[in-house]
Amino acid sequence: MTARRGWALAAIALATWAHVGSPDTYFEGAAGPYPLRVTVRDPGVVPGLAAISVRVLAPISVARVTVLPVYWDPRSAPPQPDLATRVPGDSTLFSAALWLMRPGAYSVRVSVEGPLGPGVVLVPVAAVATRRRELGPPLAALLAALGVLLLAGAITLVGAAVRESTLAPGAAPDHPQTRRARRAMALSALVFALLLFGARGWWNVVDTAYRRTLYRAPHASAAVRREGGATLVRLAIDDTAGTGTPGQGTPLIPDHGHLMHLFLIEDATLGAFAHLHPLTRDSVTFEARLPPLPPGRYRVYADVVFESGFAQTLSATADVRSPTATWRPSDSDDAWTAEQPATDSGRAMVTGSLRDGSTMTWERGASPLVAGRDAPLRFVVRARDGRAATLEPYLGMAGHLVLSRSDGAVFVHLHPAGTISLASQRAFLLREPGDTLAGTLGRRLAEQVAHAPHVSPVGPGGVVSFPYAFPQPGRYRLWVEVKRGGRILTGVFDAEVRPPAS
Amino acid sequence: MTTVAWAHAQSAAPARPTPLRRYAWITLVAATSTVVGVIWDISWHRSIGRDTFWTPAHLAIYLGGVLAGGSCGWLVLRTTFSRSPDERAAGVRFWGFRGPFGAWLCVWGALAMVTSAPLDNWWHNAYGLDVKVLSPPHTLLALGMWSIQLGALLLAAAVQNEAASDRARRAAGLMVAYLAGLLLENAAILGIEQVGFANAGHNALYYEFAAGVFPVVLLAAGRGARLAWPATTAAATYMMTSLIMIWVLQLFPATPKLAPVFNPLTHMVPAPFPVLLVAPAVVIDLLIRRLPGRDWLLAGLAGVAFVSVLLAVQWVFTAFLLSPAARTFAFGVDHWDYSSRLGPWRYQFWRTRTDPLTPRALGVAVLLAVASARLGVWAGNWTAQIRR
Repeated sequence: MTARRGWALAAIALATWAHVGSPDTYFEGAAGPYPLRVTVRDPGVVPGLAAISVRVLAPISVARVTVLPVYWDPRSAPPQPDLATRVPGDSTLFSAALWLMRPGAYSVRVSVEGPLGPGVVLVPVAAVATRRRELGPPLAALLAALGVLLLAGAITLVGAAVRESTLAPGAAPDHPQTRRARRAMALSALVFALLLFGARGWWNVVDTAYRRTLYRAPHASAAVRREGGATLVRLAIDDTAGTGTPGQGTPLIPDHGHLMHLFLIEDATLGAFAHLHPLTRDSVTFEARLPPLPPGRYRVYADVVFESGFAQTLSATADVRSPTATWRPSDSDDAWTAEQPATDSGRAMVTGSLRDGSTMTWERGASPLVAGRDAPLRFVVRARDGRAATLEPYLGMAGHLVLSRSDGAVFVHLHPAGTISLASQRAFLLREPGDTLAGTLGRRLAEQVAHAPHVSPVGPGGVVSFPYAFPQPGRYRLWVEVKRGGRILTGVFDAEVRPPAS
Repeated sequence: MTTVAWAHAQSAAPARPTPLRRYAWITLVAATSTVVGVIWDISWHRSIGRDTFWTPAHLAIYLGGVLAGGSCGWLVLRTTFSRSPDERAAGVRFWGFRGPFGAWLCVWGALAMVTSAPLDNWWHNAYGLDVKVLSPPHTLLALGMWSIQLGALLLAAAVQNEAASDRARRAAGLMVAYLAGLLLENAAILGIEQVGFANAGHNALYYEFAAGVFPVVLLAAGRGARLAWPATTAAATYMMTSLIMIWVLQLFPATPKLAPVFNPLTHMVPAPFPVLLVAPAVVIDLLIRRLPGRDWLLAGLAGVAFVSVLLAVQWVFTAFLLSPAARTFAFGVDHWDYSSRLGPWRYQFWRTRTDPLTPRALGVAVLLAVASARLGVWAGNWTAQIRR
């Protein structure tokens, strides 16, 4: 493992909540009769202002869009929602600012009014402080220059006050007065220096206090071990001292029917990938049978959702020594692949073959992929004969896209609904004022899921698409998971993402 | 040390060039604008919650900075490059330039306010939006505003001390006392937690804080402004400014825009009813008349008098403010932030067990008041001597 990769792996543990290195929220869904794409740009600080944009994805003339971030507190009334303003030159795009005042899970209530009546949708958004912006050299230089000017000015003012402020106009200060003024200036310089020293201490106190509130996921560790004839991967949450999100201490709730989604990505070449659903050994230990992955070091990511609606990605690393001869999955939804990717040669269509002989084509368009811009993540599955394949829901969704930057700085688990967790969305929808006892909402949620599991409609024509924008430039690998004929199929692609033009 | 504050007034001095009075007026308006802006801004945060760079309250604060910085910057240039030797001689030297001392303070204050803007912007991006009022960039902004208010006062003092007629001197004296009133307002704003709410009126900290911050300004006004009742005028200015803001703010509709909203209010929340500073100020004025030149004795007696009168008045008056009889438009009490969970605490004295007014606390208050008063006498004597 290179030093650079090792550093990146260490950084993962510090900068993850839902997803890694991808703080913005992308959602695609319907507010009543209006199909929408909602993007929330993460402010990185709490309290902070998040920019939200709402695009109406149908040629409907919408009259009004309002947004309201709701933090769950049954004792309080929500404030008035904010009117999103229409972006000039684009009749379907609306924008507003979200005031996220406390760390934790918010649901943003997006309401649309138009000719088809009112429509509402809840978009889960996590508010966590993730960074402390550095003071850039130009601003630091400007502030230092102004500071020196103010300090020198203040000392000069003291001198002027003592030397001549009380003299009659025209009178010149005498020698003793000038000496007194110099003494006063020296004394004031000392006093100002002490005040500045105190101010620096104050600043440091604020800075230290803020850094303590920066989001830190609980530490997790992963290990591979043999038990009987099977090889198991175990993920254990080592400590519960995560910071920055008071609501994360609530119990876990199932997302797509599973308490945890565990992903393994081979570290050196990204040559192998697994998506598993471990079973709970106890409240902090999860275990799954390991598929016959090639030996090597693996990045391990675990997606969990708390009852508070807060979605989190835990991360660790694990070494796989020798591949398992036989594999009996712990869960029928477990899947893995060591297929080589269909390379991104800049062509508009990239096609790769799937295990059952069908193909998956990424219709990526002719334009290069650029960080921060909506990425064309549309995939079409075709049968051997070239006809569009009929897809089945996999974990309740038309498809899952997992992508990771080669150095591990970005890891994202996407659905056609975007980056949000559907379990979070459901938790916000089902909340009631009486849900003040931990576990109440989770139980109701589990009952509802048991009676009516969430299954998103699978679009026709073997098409699955994902709303997303790559957060950073670099080389990425994409694993697109779909289900066909009862088999889980994974298409593997590579992508080169360019930095935005400055 | 005995200082005869009025001595210079008797000396034959050439009449101040008229423009200085004009600049004194402009800076007085600027200082008022900053104080009104701050009171408005606090009410904004208590009623609406969220703000932008462009709220009317913020604009009032900026207007104060721009007016004071722009006019005094021009005054400095005008003085420095004046063809009239008299006009040049009416300023103090500052890095090769010349200008009245008060004008330099205003320029410094405006520069401090300008410096605080990029620092505050970075602060929000680095540490999040303000949850606390007192942050380093806000403190720098406050220093800038205080500097402008003090600069305006000293400009008015220079006009007063160089005035050729009694009428002009009295007019300028009123300006000095008015600006001292704004400084009292500043002290009250700074101590809103300690001396703002009537519910704190039976605490030791209430009297200790008041004793520390108010006498210095009252005595400075008393010795510095050439009026019959200078400290009383300053105290009355403070009370009237507070009351006008209380009456006006209550008229403006407002809706909270930040969650959580525990108190769904409909109008702007005014500041608490002001401290009845006029009462101790009258006694301080009487003492100043009777003790010319006896600085230490004046400070001692004024300190004791301040605490005694304040205690006698406020102990009873704060109880009245918590009673149903006070819940009227005129007194403007019982208005609470949108984030307050309303309860019986609204009509109770707070922290009476943890911070009771004991004889020891009263002693501390008297000592603080004496020290504060002595500092005020010194500042007032200097103010009375400012000539450029």
